[in-house]
Amino acid sequence: MSGPTHAAMVGGEVPAPGGPDSLDALLHPPKPLPHKPGRVREYTLVASDRQIEVAKGVFFNAWTYNGTAPGPVIRATEDDLLRVNLLNGGSHPHTIHFHGIHPANMDGVFEIVEPGSSFTYEFPARPYGMQLYHCHSTPLKKHIAKGLYGAFIIDPPEPRRPAQELVMVLTGFDTDGDGENNFYGVNGPAFYYAKYPIRVRRSQTVRIYLANLTEFDLINSFHLHGDFFRYYPTGSSDHFEYTDTVMLCQGQRGIIEIDFANTGRFMFHAHQSEFTELGWMGFFEVED
Amino acid sequence: MARTEAAAGLRPGAWRLWALLPLLLLIGVVALFASTGTSLLDLVGRAPPPVDQFDIRRVEFRPDEIRIRVTNPQRPKLTIATVTVDDAIVPFRVDGPRELGRLRSSTIVVPFQWVEDDPYTVGVTSSNGIQTTFAVPAAVETRGASSKSFLGYALIGFLVGVVPVALGLGWLPSLRGAGLRWITAFMALTAGLLSFLALDALAEALDLQAGLPSGFQGPGLILLGVATSYLGLTYVSQRFSRAGRREAGAPLEGVALATLVAIGIGLHNLGEGLAIGSSIALGELALGTFLIVGFMVHNVTEGLGIAAPIADGARVGLSRLAALALVAGGPAIVGAWIGGFITSDVLGVLFFGLAAGAALQVIVEVGRYVARRAPGGLRSGYVIGGYLAGIVVMYLTGLLVA
Repeated sequence: MSGPTHAAMVGGEVPAPGGPDSLDALLHPPKPLPHKPGRVREYTLVASDRQIEVAKGVFFNAWTYNGTAPGPVIRATEDDLLRVNLLNGGSHPHTIHFHGIHPANMDGVFEIVEPGSSFTYEFPARPYGMQLYHCHSTPLKKHIAKGLYGAFIIDPPEPRRPAQELVMVLTGFDTDGDGENNFYGVNGPAFYYAKYPIRVRRSQTVRIYLANLTEFDLINSFHLHGDFFRYYPTGSSDHFEYTDTVMLCQGQRGIIEIDFANTGRFMFHAHQSEFTELGWMGFFEVED
Repeated sequence: MARTEAAAGLRPGAWRLWALLPLLLLIGVVALFASTGTSLLDLVGRAPPPVDQFDIRRVEFRPDEIRIRVTNPQRPKLTIATVTVDDAIVPFRVDGPRELGRLRSSTIVVPFQWVEDDPYTVGVTSSNGIQTTFAVPAAVETRGASSKSFLGYALIGFLVGVVPVALGLGWLPSLRGAGLRWITAFMALTAGLLSFLALDALAEALDLQAGLPSGFQGPGLILLGVATSYLGLTYVSQRFSRAGRREAGAPLEGVALATLVAIGIGLHNLGEGLAIGSSIALGELALGTFLIVGFMVHNVTEGLGIAAPIADGARVGLSRLAALALVAGGPAIVGAWIGGFITSDVLGVLFFGLAAGAALQVIVEVGRYVARRAPGGLRSGYVIGGYLAGIVVMYLTGLLVA
């Protein structure tokens, strides 16, 4: 090792688990479909207890939807009929609580799904925007901190402009159970996008569906280096803020659109330095 | 013996072979349990999961580098996964294995530009995600084992150990002029100060062992130290007694008793030197002039304790006195080296246990001497007053170093 380096430095020093494409399914959302009211969109989520690597060499006994924390990206177009099957293969009762507009009996609060049983959530997807879902079993804090959450995108009837679309769910893991997160990250593992920068093209808008699901900490944030972006809170209107930093409480989310002015390597991270140095930082590799 | 063997129907000497029987049976039972043990445990519930705590023994600050010495105190293996400094994940390398078996240690080396005098909290996280932290109140550069620091610790040990004892021996001419009543009063004072040191060492040992991982069995370690030095010195005093061709069981006196006192005080100074050395090494102790002076005043009475029995005996040469000063004070140097360069709480517990046991044994020897020689015996006012004065003197001078 030549002189002092830091985990924020690029290169072989960055400690992150997984390979270069192991988070692809979480980073890249399914393709949007054109508006067609009444079309059925079906997803199946299996809840299971699973040990996941949340930082290089650190294994966490997580509760997951489909084996990852965050769970899979659910996408629908407004007025689609969304049908989500929950199979509980875990050892605790779970639910799925979606953010959005839906009937009271589809809210994932009262219809507890015991281990070994299942439940199907069915409701029209609305309103358009960046939504999210998470387990609402008690103790709530435990069920969220263990990893039962994910991104839920509802596309507007009028399609959004074509863009390079990414999903970023802000995550934290309390591996020693002391009520404080030991590791932070985007879509799971600490420092993942520092080790494997996200490649984007300058010629096309980068659209990020962003949601904060970290437990224990009051807020989380997203900060981009070297550029500004349009931030659409909750993504459900045309109203946006032009900025380089946004702050989110748990459950808060929105859509970010970046038109990169320059090529090169640009950092993005939480603007809580502590989170940054505990894994919540990464890079965009902007190419022409 | 022969009668018992005959009664048991054994050939002479065969008892040694038969002694192996329970051991062989034990091996058999252990093997049987080990092969079926887990299913047996299932009957009464499962074993709790491992705590996965590291034991961080020592954090050293070197130029652009922090070195963390970690031990695995538990039975299951522990793997070093990530390292943090002030809640930030940092790159590191490990000198030694990353996966630690029980009571095995490794040194984690973190390249880090630390700030002098700033507090730091280092954390080591195992592969199961459990984080162990260690807070350093102020970062001070840890000197390696250079000839300069070697000399430095030796000088500190010399100043707080050898010098005050040698100075205290200067009371010898004055004591020679004093009557037996006064000499025995000073011997009682020696017993008083040794009582103080014994309790002090025992308290230190108990304090230190409380921080040890349970695997080290701190209380047992203290008992081992106390018993070893107490019985060791009992054996030595017996040899002295025989060498002096006194009747069996007679109390020691003169140089022999002084030597025993010196050994007892020496073992205490070993522990004291260790405590001072490790405090300096860990940046917990700012060893100013005042503290050095404090230790000198505190320890000067130790010389008096050695001088008192000599005053009541035959004259001794200067070289013999120097040797006694070295026996009583020199261990402070050795202790400072060990504390400064190794810093082992395990050794600390053992040493303080040894010190307590030695002091106790010497109190017994001094007591027997005083009982025999003091006009009026142990109940005379001079003796009681001297004993209490010894405790008071140690308490008051102790305020200088507390």
